[in-house]
Amino acid sequence: MDFLSSFLTRFLSQLQSPTLGFLIGGIVVAALGSQLVIPDAIYKFIVFMLLMKVGLTGGQEIRNANLTEILLPALFSVIMGILIVLIGRYTLCKLPNVKTEDGIATAGLFGAVSGSTFAAALTLLETQKIPYEAWSAALYPFMDIPALVTAIVLASIYTNKRRGTEGKRVKIWPIVKESLQGSALTALLLGLALGLLTQPESVYKSFYDPLFRGFLSVLMLIMGMEAWSRLGELRKVAQWYVVYSIVAPLLHGLIAFGLGMIAHYATGFSLGGVVVLAVMAASSSDISGPPTLRAGIPSANPSAYIGSSTAIGTPVAIALGIPLYIGLAQALGG
Amino acid sequence: MAKPAKKLVIVTEKLLLKQIAKIIDDSGATGYTVVDAGGKGSRNVRSSGQPSISDTYLNVKIEVLTDTPEMALKISDEIATKFFDDYSGIVYICDAEVLNAHKFCGPDGC
Repeated sequence: MDFLSSFLTRFLSQLQSPTLGFLIGGIVVAALGSQLVIPDAIYKFIVFMLLMKVGLTGGQEIRNANLTEILLPALFSVIMGILIVLIGRYTLCKLPNVKTEDGIATAGLFGAVSGSTFAAALTLLETQKIPYEAWSAALYPFMDIPALVTAIVLASIYTNKRRGTEGKRVKIWPIVKESLQGSALTALLLGLALGLLTQPESVYKSFYDPLFRGFLSVLMLIMGMEAWSRLGELRKVAQWYVVYSIVAPLLHGLIAFGLGMIAHYATGFSLGGVVVLAVMAASSSDISGPPTLRAGIPSANPSAYIGSSTAIGTPVAIALGIPLYIGLAQALGG
Repeated sequence: MAKPAKKLVIVTEKLLLKQIAKIIDDSGATGYTVVDAGGKGSRNVRSSGQPSISDTYLNVKIEVLTDTPEMALKISDEIATKFFDDYSGIVYICDAEVLNAHKFCGPDGC
């Protein structure tokens, strides 16, 4: 009972953070029909700044880290990425009115990672003063790429079986290459490399670190407005997508939280790191993932997967998922 | 002097630009022009790696001038069969006369 009440109070206090405030604010102003527009160039710059900062922090810490500590969480990230797509394939796709390719694509996005959700989680962890391994940023591609590849391969197997064209094998390397060349992962990996190999402290302290929270708030505003604008897409597809988009982030995050706890007891993975793993599993790629799936699974209806991920998946992961996992970690950690 | 040519116009999602450019290059056309485009069609949902609420256009209009109508039709057929089942787009052809160009008209000029 005490566990539950302390968990609830912590959960509710996090809902007041600026991160969530800007997200909800974005949804509200878009719903009211506001003409407010944040230019695309600014959005791209913000994504670059946030992931560069996260990468730099992570890279600087990898210098002092033990490689064996990183192995188990990395393995769990890959497992979660693939598992989420498989769960979706055998649950969402079986529901009535859900086309299999659309379902696989949606599961693929939910398996992949959202940069905005990830950055928001790191900020909230820092606000709550929960320590976490900075190199957990490096787990991002380990979940993102396997999920997208699995989704594209599963969809290709299904389409080939349906059309009776056996033998048209999906080439995996171009998908991996395209994901790595995407702006989000490039910024992150570059930051990791620079943090690891160079001495970026001067630019880090004076530029990337101080601007992080401000840019995150603007990104949350954009995500909120985007969520509202994509809500219309969901009206064109089956209602089950709405249910999936609400349940999936919480379910996947809890599974990942469980796996993270195994790593916690096995190799000393910190509770903050467990939260990061859980949030990555809960997040659904909203802007960088869809083009990869649009090109990899052309027959899937983008209204389904973009609508699910951007309109509901990301807000649920940020507003409900992050406070939930942080609350759980705080309750478990005492 | 003007050289008659066919202008092939393709209006489609920005996502497809690289692949269409490759088709155009492979067909032997000397070049193409790309313009940002906006608008609405029957499908109306875009996934371009940009937020849909930011103030940018999400389509492209590609113009290709070809010597012969056959080359234009070949490009158009290839694009339509490859993409238009799954993505939005339209292709149309107009007549044009090239007045001045460096490569298009060859060494004798237009």
